[in-house]
Parts: sequence; structure tokens; C-alpha cells
Amino acid sequence: MKASYVWAVLVGMAVANYTLRFMPIAMLSRLKLPRPVERWLSFIPVSVMAALLVGEVLRPDGTWLPPLQNPYLLAAIPTALVYYKWRSFLGTTVAGIVVFLVFRTILG
Amino acid sequence: MPTPDPEQSPCPSARSRFFRGVRLGLPIFLGYVPVGAAFGILATTQGFSALQAVLNSATALAGAGQFIGLSLMHAGASAFTVLAATTIVNLRYVLFGATLSTHLDRTPLLGQAALAFSLTDETFAVNIDDNRRGTATGLSMAGVGAIAWVGWVSGTALGATASGLIGDPYRFGVAFAMPAMFTALLVAQAEDRKHVVIAVVAAAFAVFFALVLPGKWYIVAASVVAAAVGAAVYE
Repeated sequence: MKASYVWAVLVGMAVANYTLRFMPIAMLSRLKLPRPVERWLSFIPVSVMAALLVGEVLRPDGTWLPPLQNPYLLAAIPTALVYYKWRSFLGTTVAGIVVFLVFRTILG
Repeated sequence: MPTPDPEQSPCPSARSRFFRGVRLGLPIFLGYVPVGAAFGILATTQGFSALQAVLNSATALAGAGQFIGLSLMHAGASAFTVLAATTIVNLRYVLFGATLSTHLDRTPLLGQAALAFSLTDETFAVNIDDNRRGTATGLSMAGVGAIAWVGWVSGTALGATASGLIGDPYRFGVAFAMPAMFTALLVAQAEDRKHVVIAVVAAAFAVFFALVLPGKWYIVAASVVAAAVGAAVYE
């Protein structure tokens, strides 16, 4: 790859990404959004979390895994219980990694 | 947990608010280092210098966008095509920014500009959850962003310079760091019956859209539709 080509992409990607991230925050935080729009936005976080988790757990690295041979899906269940009981993100993440390693070893 | 929690004090100092965010962001750090290392390895084997790989991570902070950029560049796409593709992949940040903006109306423009820089799937998830509890501040969000950035950039540097020493960065089970964090965040968000229902609706739509749409579009599509169902059903 030519260095000038790589540099052009690097600069362009930095500018494009930052614009995409900053514009909605800068513009919308100064407006009073209509009630229905605010209500819609209030359901976005839980929806995003569910959608992200579906992608990460059912299709890790872009491949759909069968549920009973999927260490990601199996590990997510005890992980959810750990968070429900103890309410610690870091503790849950570490516990999740351990459970995941166990399932991955069992499933080969 | 032997040390007392600084967030308990009635008027936490700026420093303790920032480091509270850093602690909240530690799971993100755990997840970003190996993925960043994978990016660093891939980028340097495809013709990036180590410096270019690290700078790409430091300025774009865009996981999927960077990987897609890399594969398109490898395939010989024009700079314009690469930028168009990564912009489309990252359009979901517009939705995240719009959601966050309702919580940032009292944050000064400069603070918003700093927070926007570190907006990713993971920092959005952690900060919006912290906001819901009413404990988020501009500085705690900056702490979350800072530790995420450090994880992503240091992981990239590690992969770009020491790929031979690390081997497969996934073998330590850290592949589950992000799924584990999202699991915890989902349980945290599903606080009442209506949010549980909308989470299930969103998950179902996510499966459907992941089957029919390319890339990460299922996230935006499922969220937009499921939140609309929520807004329509729960007046």
C-alpha cells in the first residue's frame, strides 16, 4: 500500500467519524425534542443493548452458531444471573470470562 | 472490596468523578485490548506501518469501521470508497448521539466535543446506564471514554509491534468480555416490565435484521423499530 493512500484514509476516517459523533450531540442537545420523540429515544438504550447482545452472542465473529454448541450463548445465562444477584459490571465481566472458558473447554 | 468508594462522599472531587468513570469502563478496557491487538496485527501484515495502525486507532476509535476499512484497502478500493463504507458502518453513532444528547443539555459545548470523541457502542452502553441511575457526570463519562481509548490504542500498539510474541490474542477467553458486559448492561436496563418486553422485541428484530441486512445494520434497524413499538404501546 502506498503511504500517501494510507494517510489519506487515516485523516478522512478521523474527520468522518468525529463529525458523525459530534453533530447530533451538538445540535440536538440545544433543542427541546417533542414528547413522542423523547419517549422513542427513552427506549433506544434497552433496544440497542438487546440488539448488540444478540449479535455478539448468537453470531460471534460473524458466524451463526447452533444454540447448544454455542459457548457464548450458554455463558450469557449464568453471566446474567451473576449481574442480577451482585450488580457489579467488572465482577460480572470477569465471572463471564471464566464461565465462557469452561463452556468453551467442554464443547471443545 | 477493601477500599471505600469515593462516589459515596457527598461532594466528590473532580478527580474522584473521573476515576469513578475509569472504573466503570474497566470491562471495556478488558474487551478492547485483544480486539485492538487483532487490528494491530492485521493492519501491519497488510501494509500499514505500526505508527499508522496506532494513529488510525487513536483518531478513529472505530472497531468495525477500521476492520472494514482495512479489508477494502487490501482489496484496492479508492480512498473515497473506503471512507464511504466506514461512514455508513458508523452511522449508528448518530442514533447514539441523539439519545445521549437528551442527557447532555447542561454540558458545555467543549465537554460535549470531548465526549463525542470517545462515543462507541460500549461507552454509549455504559454511560447511558450510568445516566439512568442519575450518577453520570461529564467527568465520569470522560473517564469511561479515556479508559476505553487507552485499551483500544494500547491493544493496537501491542498487536502492531509484538504480534509474534502474543500469538492468538483470543485464547485467554477475553472474547467474552464484551458479550459479558452487554449481558450485565441489558439486565441493568431491563428495570421494569415494559423495558423487558421491549428488550425481547428488540432481540427478535435483531435476529431478523441480522439475517437480512449486511454488516452492523441490524443494530440500528432493530433499535429504531423496537423503540418505536415501545413509544407506541406505552404512552
